[in-house]
Amino acid sequence: MIELREISKMYKRPTGEPVVALSDISLHIERGEFVAIVGASGSGKSTLMNIIGLLDLPTAGRYSWDGEDVTSLDPNRQAKMRNKKIGFVFQAFHLLPRTTALENVELPLLYSDRRSITDLSRNALKAVNLTDRMYHRPSELSGGQQQRVAIARALVNEPDLLLADEPTGNLDRDSALEIVSIFQSLNCAGRTIVLVTHDQEISSFAKRIVRLERGRMVGDDRAPEARAVTEEAQ
Amino acid sequence: MKNARLARHSLRMMGRYKLRTGFMMLGSVIGIAALTFVVSVGQSAQRKILKMVGQMFGDSGIVIHDGGGEMMGGPRGPDARLKIDDIAAIARELPGVEAWDPMQTITASVRHGDSADNALVRGESERWPQVWNRTASRGDLFDETAVTGSARVAIIGESVAKELFGNDDPVGADIEIGSVPFKVIGTLEPWGTDPHGMDRDNEVIVPISTLMRRLTNVDTISAAKLVTTDPARSDEMKTEIRRILRERHGLAAGQPNDFSIITAAEIRQMVGQVERVLFFYLPLVAAIALVVGGIVSASLMLVSVNERVAEIGLRRAIGARSQDIRLQFLFETTMTLLAGGVGGVGFGYAVAILGASRMHLDGVNPWMASLLGVLASSLVGLLAGVLPALRAARLHPAEALR
Repeated sequence: MIELREISKMYKRPTGEPVVALSDISLHIERGEFVAIVGASGSGKSTLMNIIGLLDLPTAGRYSWDGEDVTSLDPNRQAKMRNKKIGFVFQAFHLLPRTTALENVELPLLYSDRRSITDLSRNALKAVNLTDRMYHRPSELSGGQQQRVAIARALVNEPDLLLADEPTGNLDRDSALEIVSIFQSLNCAGRTIVLVTHDQEISSFAKRIVRLERGRMVGDDRAPEARAVTEEAQ
Repeated sequence: MKNARLARHSLRMMGRYKLRTGFMMLGSVIGIAALTFVVSVGQSAQRKILKMVGQMFGDSGIVIHDGGGEMMGGPRGPDARLKIDDIAAIARELPGVEAWDPMQTITASVRHGDSADNALVRGESERWPQVWNRTASRGDLFDETAVTGSARVAIIGESVAKELFGNDDPVGADIEIGSVPFKVIGTLEPWGTDPHGMDRDNEVIVPISTLMRRLTNVDTISAAKLVTTDPARSDEMKTEIRRILRERHGLAAGQPNDFSIITAAEIRQMVGQVERVLFFYLPLVAAIALVVGGIVSASLMLVSVNERVAEIGLRRAIGARSQDIRLQFLFETTMTLLAGGVGGVGFGYAVAILGASRMHLDGVNPWMASLLGVLASSLVGLLAGVLPALRAARLHPAEALR
């Protein structure tokens, strides 16, 4: 589904000295995969995720989506792709404060071209088991619940790809496992998931682990049998 | 469809940040309130001035005051020397005088039974209704024979009538002015309060001969008004009147005038100056308040953009285009300041009504001021919103989410 070929990303420090964040990353991800991108902080995993999520552009290389080059798309088309094809989950949840769970989930629909947006957000909340918290504000929800709202928001537009950047970084272990189990069941239902984490335990639940070190890809392992959270929790 | 959905969402979000929205609103509330106040009171004051000036001068009036000085209310020259004969001579010698009316006034106590009222008593000729454009609302006016015969008849103003007769009809009743008995033959058409705060209904009109001979003992008049046929010739006529009066008063070259002349054209010029203050300088001050308010709102909005960087990043990530963000922030600022403007119009109008009643102005009309207020606040909102909106739209999504 998505293919990165020799993707590089360079920054310039304010002092003017160039920094290589990513160099020559080639990665092919098919529909239905569950990929964890792991690495220490500064390894470039967030940069890679921003590029996959069309939030940032590579300085070199080619990124294509279903065969179409997406790095050369104009910013409005990229925004449309983010809206329709990609769902984001962040470490800091990024829920709008003073806004109910339902309205937070609705947000991507506001920017979509859909004519009717009712029910979709309810169904998304149902998918993460939060029907009873629909009218709660983020401040009234636990961290795990907030992240579930964020997942519902990422799912509401039925995206092809779910991108999660350290989704468990702000959560305790129980909540983290709960989130990962949601990812696993979404993946079982056919959803493609790319998850960025520095946590070995979390990455062990993925079917494929891509390792980054100082901007380079140093490993790409497919686990024949990924662990299931259900066994682990017991 | 999509934009309407986003607009509704924005309004809901603004409602959730009441303090921020409220402070931003203040930016337009004060300026628009000042603008509304100044414009609506200004309009009312202008109407009042024009009405008064129209009544006193008409299109082509020339008013001659006894005593020197250039302006109405200015310093007066030496002795009172203006006489009815002077005015009659002007009317005789000068072509284009349509009508004229001499006037002398005293302040006297007016009594009926046990009630008394201090009123301004004006002696006028029988031509005063045409010349001064004022008439009786009840009863009759006096005619030429009343003036030649110094008849003791009076037309009383509504305030005097109320003071002396309450709700009874005063026409036909006997009153005393000073200690002289008069018969009330009519009441004056109500006029209201003049810009000096004088109640122009607290007046009594009597034949000028009666006033000069029976109420006081003078042979001079305080003022006279000429109605001319050709307003365009008023400067020329003023020169002629000055020549005739100086000649008749035997003033040598170099001696100052012992009278003053004001024409309708000169008054119109003065009114023009007042209007400039009312409709340029005062609104300018209010507009400056509005601009300052706009700058305050713009900086509050900039602070708000900085606080909402993560929110902007999230919106970009879930599919907002850069122009969607720009539109949202522009919309928020504009709507906030517009709402503040509407509040300001209400506040300014309330103060205007209060102020107008203290300044004896009537009928403050809010429409012009409201329209101006709504337009001005939307405009200021748009301008104040541009910079924050551009900054918000320029944020790089990946950096905003960091």
